[in-house]
This record gives sequence, structure tokens and C-alpha cells, in this order.
Amino acid sequence: MFRVPLLVAIALAIAFGLGIQSTLMALNATVGFGEIEIDGWRAFPQAQTAEADPYARAHRAKAGRLLLGSAEGLTFIATSDRAGRKLTTDCRYKLSGTVPMARYWTLSASRPDGAPLSGSSGPSLAGLPTALNSVVTLKNRDASLEIAIGSDAEPGNWLAIPPGPAGSASPVGNQEMMLSLTLLDTPVAGNSGLVKLSMPHIDMVGCGHA
Amino acid sequence: MRKLIHAIVLGLIGAVVLHIVIILALPHFTGKDAYTRVTLEGLPQRFYSLDSRPDRAGLANSDPFLKLAACAFDVSDAPVHLTASGSLPFWSIGVFDRDANEVYSMNDATAVEGKLDIIVATAAQLARLRAAAPDALAQTIFVEMPQPQGYAVLRAFAPQKSQIPDAQAFLAGAGCDQTAIDP
Repeated sequence: MFRVPLLVAIALAIAFGLGIQSTLMALNATVGFGEIEIDGWRAFPQAQTAEADPYARAHRAKAGRLLLGSAEGLTFIATSDRAGRKLTTDCRYKLSGTVPMARYWTLSASRPDGAPLSGSSGPSLAGLPTALNSVVTLKNRDASLEIAIGSDAEPGNWLAIPPGPAGSASPVGNQEMMLSLTLLDTPVAGNSGLVKLSMPHIDMVGCGHA
Repeated sequence: MRKLIHAIVLGLIGAVVLHIVIILALPHFTGKDAYTRVTLEGLPQRFYSLDSRPDRAGLANSDPFLKLAACAFDVSDAPVHLTASGSLPFWSIGVFDRDANEVYSMNDATAVEGKLDIIVATAAQLARLRAAAPDALAQTIFVEMPQPQGYAVLRAFAPQKSQIPDAQAFLAGAGCDQTAIDP
């Protein structure tokens, strides 16, 4: 007697449940198609243009960020190291290699959603180099560079991130991290694929206070 | 049993349709897209410098070395003149329409004498401007807007702390004013 309403309810539940869930997942997982990926760094050179796909437009309208125009620059993001492990504030990393051609670049760390990293314990990061750029960074003679990323000070180029939890036994305070490398005035944004680009590699050095 | 499978298949088709409808419709009603946020900063035709913390409109400087200022404008009555000048290692501007599509972008390397001098206008206004061709606008870059509303984002690069006042002064002195076609 109630079979027809039950079937209608099943159909509607599947339609709305799956439809809304899949939309949310698609919008949270990616900025859209048209991604370029170089050595683990990802960028979306078309995301701010009229040629952006519907997913990119929906994501853009939902996030409401002020994106860089193609003549301004291009932001690359990385959320995992060379071995594919997620970046966390509990570990120390080494960034090495060359940055693609650009007039200037800036490097900073944040949470994967772009919010600033928050230090749960320990001293504040005020006055520490929590972001670097091409002007203040030391380079090797062959224009390559090495940057140490971690909560403990290191010689040479150092990008400071908030310290992980003391003892690092508990996962509290251990945050996932995203590195953003913004190239200002770069031909990469309009790259037609003729130039082989190489991005710096991210290697994990160690975790916790070993 | 066949009716149950029928219902599940129908539900899956409905899910696909709903997914597509939401994705396509979302840009029109999120209420927090970039243009809406810039208009919430205050009166239009004025550059607002952004802080490193999100303000009440939800906009912030995401890059610690790039200072941002944003201006919402409407060219349906008159063209808008974007101006700025200063000595900086790098600055750039992006002009976007109200759907946040890039209309035009440039940086200081392509600017005449290192100054920002752009007029954004509709196609009809540009035709009149070119016909009048006033000398004062001989070096100005004309940008045609596909829709009358839009916003501009000006970025000033300050790689070192001592350059932050210069960058802030550059943004504070930036103009986003309505201009008359026939001077």
C-alpha cells in the first residue's frame, strides 16, 4: 500500500542526497579543470578568465577571492612533499631547486584553505620570517636556492612555521599546511608548453623535535 | 524489485541533473563572490586598501608582501579613470567584470612612465573618447568593459619592511574616479 510513496521517497533521497553531496565534494576538492601541475605544484592559470569552466566559476563565486590577472602573476600551491606525503607543521622540510622565470616571487605557508597557520603553543612568530620573497632570499651561484621550512631556526634561508605540539605525541596542534609560491610578472601564466618548467622540490627532513 | 531498481536509477539521474543545475546556478546567488565583497567595502569609485586580516566584507591581503586595494565601479554613466603613481619595485592591476572574469591586467613594466593610467568604459563611450581624442589622454590605456559594472584590484609589492610605507602611499593615492568624456 505504501510501496509507491516509498519508491518516490527513495528516488528523491538519492537525487537530493547524492546531487548535493557530489556538488559540495566537487567544489571543495578542486578549483576546476585546467590545472597545470609541475613537480607537485599546482596552479590554475585560467581560473580568473571568461574561459574558466563551470566548476571553476562556481568555486570562484563561492570562495570570493581576488585572483591575480594573467599579466600580474600566477600562484602555485603545494600540499604534499616529493614523496606524496601531506605537509604538516610538525615536520621540517627542505625546498631546493630553481624557481621559474619571473620578475619577483613570494613564498608563504598557510592552511590548505588559505587561512593563516595558528601556533597552538610556544612563542609567537612575530618578527620571524614567516614569508620569503626573491629579494630577501639567498641564492647559490647557479641561481638555484635552498630554503629550510620548520619551526626551529636554521642557517641560510629559513621559512618559519608555528611549532608543533610539545613532545608531538598528541596530534593536537599538528596542522596540515599548504605552501604558496606566487610568481609575479611571469611568462608561465601564458605558457604554451614550449618551455620546460621546473619548480623547486619539497623534501621532508624529519618530524618532531628529534 | 524491478520497481526499486527503477526508483534508484531515477534517483541517480535526478542527482546528476541536480549536480549540474547547482554548479551552473551557483555563481548567480552565492552572495559572497568577489564583486559583491568589493562593493561591500564602501562607496563605489574609490580604492579601499585591504588589511592582512579579513575585513567585514571578507577580503584580505593573502600575500604578506603584496598590499592590495580594490575599487568597485560602474561605467554606465561615465567612464572611470584609474590612476596611480609612485616608485615601487613592482605593481600590477587587474580589471574584472562583475562575474569576476578578467577584462584586462597589466603591471608596471608595460605602463607608460611607470604610471597607472587606464580608462575603463563601455564600447559607445570609447568610440566618443577616441573621436574626441583629447591630448590629456594621449598615453592612456583604454579598456572596454563587456558589462558596465566591475572592479579593479591594485597590488603593490613591498619585499622589505622599509618599502611598506611606499606601497601604502601608492595605494592610498590611487584614483578610481568618474571622468567626463568631453573635457
